[in-house]
Amino acid sequence: MTIRLLLLAASLTLAAPAFAQQAAGDPKEAHKKIAMCEGCHGIPGYKTAYPLVYHVPKLGGQSAVYLSNALNAYKSGQRIHPSMRGIAASLTDKDIADLAAYYAAGH
Amino acid sequence: MRRIFVVTCSLLALVVSAALEAKGNAEKGKTRAVTKAGNQEPCASCHGADGAKPVAPENPILAGQYSDYIVKALSDYKSGKRKSAVMNGVAAELSKQDIEDLAAWFSSQKSNLHFQR
Repeated sequence: MTIRLLLLAASLTLAAPAFAQQAAGDPKEAHKKIAMCEGCHGIPGYKTAYPLVYHVPKLGGQSAVYLSNALNAYKSGQRIHPSMRGIAASLTDKDIADLAAYYAAGH
Repeated sequence: MRRIFVVTCSLLALVVSAALEAKGNAEKGKTRAVTKAGNQEPCASCHGADGAKPVAPENPILAGQYSDYIVKALSDYKSGKRKSAVMNGVAAELSKQDIEDLAAWFSSQKSNLHFQR
């Protein structure tokens, strides 16, 4: 129980800065950065090819906090996906906030 | 001739097994989504009953997401490949069939989630 509470506290602490970053995101700025996302997420019905075949997730309308947390987790290596790791590693905190705001706004 | 027959049969078997494998039951998923997973809270208490209105922005919208992506996410949480203090515990309580059923349910629900270029 104590461990669970600690984990919860830790995840809330980790989530707090992500939330702060998200507030600063500018969807208009993201237009310059979405080229690298579009190659997969911008193709209707696009599926990964290897090692598992599945649709890459829909991002439009998703929560900005969730999206920035996901990108930060890929960037740190906590969430494992070779392509996403490479892409997220090239993003600054501002890039992540802008991209999260862009997809969350759901154009 | 015989070789052609063998190849055809293997291809058919592949197609049939793929079709059988990927089928979740959305109605069962609907029930599973509001039922506790072991001693863990049900999906609905964080993601909303139909996955369209999560209770906190940290929790993703599931309604309308691709079912195979939901299966992938839950399977990775179950195996521990994807880490989350909450989701690892929840997914550990789900069977492979539960995961297929939940994916069928949430993917068939409506939300703001959509394909975006």
